Amino acid sequence: MPVPTMVDPEPSVGNTAPSQQAAKKVMTKAERRELQEKQRAAKAALKQSQPQPGKPNQPQQPKQQQQQQGGGQAKPKPPQTPQKKTFLTESTAAKQDRAAKEAAAEEAAAIQSHGLRIFSHFGQPKPIGHTVKGDIHPTIIRLGLLFSEFKICGANARCIATLTAFKQVIQDYTTPAQNTISRHLMTHISPQITHLVSARPMSVSMGNAIRELKLEISAIDIDMVEQDAKDALCTKIDNYIRDRIIIADQVIQELAGKKIKDGDVVLTYAKSSVVQKVLLQAQEDGKKFSVVVVDSKPLLEGKSLLRSLTSGANSIPCTYALLPALPSLLTEATMVLVGAHALYSNGAVYSRAGTAMVAMMAKMHSVPVVVCCETYKFSEGVMVDGFSKNELVPLSITQRNSSPKDIAPTQNLERLNPLYDLTPPRYITAVVTEVGLIPPSSISSIPLALGKTSM
Amino acid sequence: MFSIYDAFKRKIADEEISTPLAAILALTELIENSDAGTMFELVKALNDGAEALKKQASNTISVNAGCELFIAFVTLFPHDSDNFTDLKKELIRQGQNYAAEALTYRKKIAELAFGFIKDGSVILTHSYSRVVMQTLLLAHKRKRFSVFVTEARPRGLGIKTAEALTAAGVPSTVILDSAVAYVMDKVDFVLVGSEAVVESGGLVNAVGSNQIAIIARAANKPFYALAESYKFHRLFPLSQYDLPSHNSKILSFPSILHANSSSMNTSSPSSPSQNESNYPTGGQPERVPLRITQEQISKNNPDVDYTRSLLLASTAPEMTVLILRRRPDLISLVFSDVGSLTPEGVSQYLVGMFAG
Repeated sequence: MPVPTMVDPEPSVGNTAPSQQAAKKVMTKAERRELQEKQRAAKAALKQSQPQPGKPNQPQQPKQQQQQQGGGQAKPKPPQTPQKKTFLTESTAAKQDRAAKEAAAEEAAAIQSHGLRIFSHFGQPKPIGHTVKGDIHPTIIRLGLLFSEFKICGANARCIATLTAFKQVIQDYTTPAQNTISRHLMTHISPQITHLVSARPMSVSMGNAIRELKLEISAIDIDMVEQDAKDALCTKIDNYIRDRIIIADQVIQELAGKKIKDGDVVLTYAKSSVVQKVLLQAQEDGKKFSVVVVDSKPLLEGKSLLRSLTSGANSIPCTYALLPALPSLLTEATMVLVGAHALYSNGAVYSRAGTAMVAMMAKMHSVPVVVCCETYKFSEGVMVDGFSKNELVPLSITQRNSSPKDIAPTQNLERLNPLYDLTPPRYITAVVTEVGLIPPSSISSIPLALGKTSM
Repeated sequence: MFSIYDAFKRKIADEEISTPLAAILALTELIENSDAGTMFELVKALNDGAEALKKQASNTISVNAGCELFIAFVTLFPHDSDNFTDLKKELIRQGQNYAAEALTYRKKIAELAFGFIKDGSVILTHSYSRVVMQTLLLAHKRKRFSVFVTEARPRGLGIKTAEALTAAGVPSTVILDSAVAYVMDKVDFVLVGSEAVVESGGLVNAVGSNQIAIIARAANKPFYALAESYKFHRLFPLSQYDLPSHNSKILSFPSILHANSSSMNTSSPSSPSQNESNYPTGGQPERVPLRITQEQISKNNPDVDYTRSLLLASTAPEMTVLILRRRPDLISLVFSDVGSLTPEGVSQYLVGMFAG
């Protein structure tokens, strides 16, 4: 009798769970059954130490067991009497179970030592298929996956994607009875935001946009018809994307393009959507210049920039190099043009890890460092270093660009891949925004000039 | 037919009127003579006029500053008048009022800077600047000081400064542009005028100012700039060669062909660098000693240079150490009619004025 129950859950576990929740349900059921069966078998096996597989202190542990066991069970065995078979199965199962537990414990220890002690506050990147709690709109779930897999990457792209998704959320929302949209929509949106943040920490640009959105929601007139209010919000979102991102980028293209002259060598680091647009626009304007794309592991985003610069009818002459080659290339460069993730009010630029090094070295060589950044990425906070706040590149992304020859992390070897770093304002010559070229020291006077005291 | 350049020339003939003001006055005359019937037409006419003026006038940066200021003023001017003719009249009146008021700015600046001139101080100034002259002459009424003034080649305007100061009774000596470092230890502070103050907080001024600022920095002497607020300009030069005044002739090397053909003629246009440079002579061993005239030198040299507000971190290893300890400002203060500003303050003022 126990045999079929043991075998039963196997296929579903083996066939890489169809959906996350389903898999989880099956697993717990299987676990329970297994436990019962094991206890019974253990008694029969004369004082064999009782395994306790049900302790759920490590999330991976049950999964591991299941897989291990599944593998063990799948082995073809000579048909025997039911009684004996049960006994045999049990003993192997128990053994495997223990082995699995040991492995799991070892792994847990490894992960704990993997906590990158001084960087533990960055937060360990979460596994991708995390659970969905509460009433999350499918668009948001999809977006969360895209974020955590770095399929949508870059402050602008993420902000636009988030706002577009929220438009969908707002349109699909209905205010419950005896509630007003201006009050209740916020409680509906908050878990969606929480879900997105759990997928990947929120970018400053998203934070600013969401703050603006919340402000708009709270300002909805109570007497407004629900559909009208929703449409009005969606228009506001569209306007925000248009004014603060799309049009801003066009102005930046024009302003930064003026600084590119014939014969210039523009050095850029990693990939920024704005920088890409600036370079392509300058090329379209008929300027004769070349580009040095400096890139680095683990993301190697420069490759994508290189592709877009060199493809097309008239491609820009490009040089591609990794960060160690920077000193020898900088002597050739006439300008460094980089993008930014965020700009803090002390003028510090928070950008892809490596930017600070490029900027510092450029300043050493008297090459002007120009940062392209829309004003909606401004943060009113102050940052003094890249350690207080940062993000780690998830392992899955790191592995995508690593060759098998790379040294695997062990107990005494950990990999640290922070996603961002901070460039102090003294290494930056100018920031190109949609309101003009501004020295980093005057950043703080911009939001006031725009009349946005809240930003 | 109204010519904006003629109007500009008429205005600038007045000794007191500086280039940006002349541009503003020329534009007000353009409004007077314009038959524009709408705001849009008027702004377009002004833009066209500014464009024409920039093409003809030699001093593009200052002209630009004036034109930009006036056009921004016109576009932002609240037009609540009943008809457009009234509005135009009002604009003309405002423009002329501004120019008249702007003439008092130098006095304000002179009063601001007055407190910085102490009895017995030795001042270094560069070239000729009306606002510096006015400041020094005002200070001379109450204080005793002496002035070193650079010759400021190629135009040699420093001589004009020295003559005017000596006539007024201020002891002054003309020094060579190349003697600035020699004289710097004797100087208490440097006082210069400006062509334009730009958004980075830097300064565009007669060529040579930048090196004076760097030497002053190295000798730990304050470097003060005087600038009327109409000289504040929405411009962000990334380097010397990013200035609008930079053109391909400046710092160019003559082509070998050119040098050879000109060496046939006895009067030979060539650059000073020609003699020292070991240019590949392209199989022509014959080297006629070239004569270089002053005009050729000035043709190959810039009129203005750009003084950054901050010293670059890279100048020398010792400098880097200095920077870690102190603020790396090349310019100590900019005196203007809106107050005494640090370079950062200038850029914040400009950002607030234009980015708003």
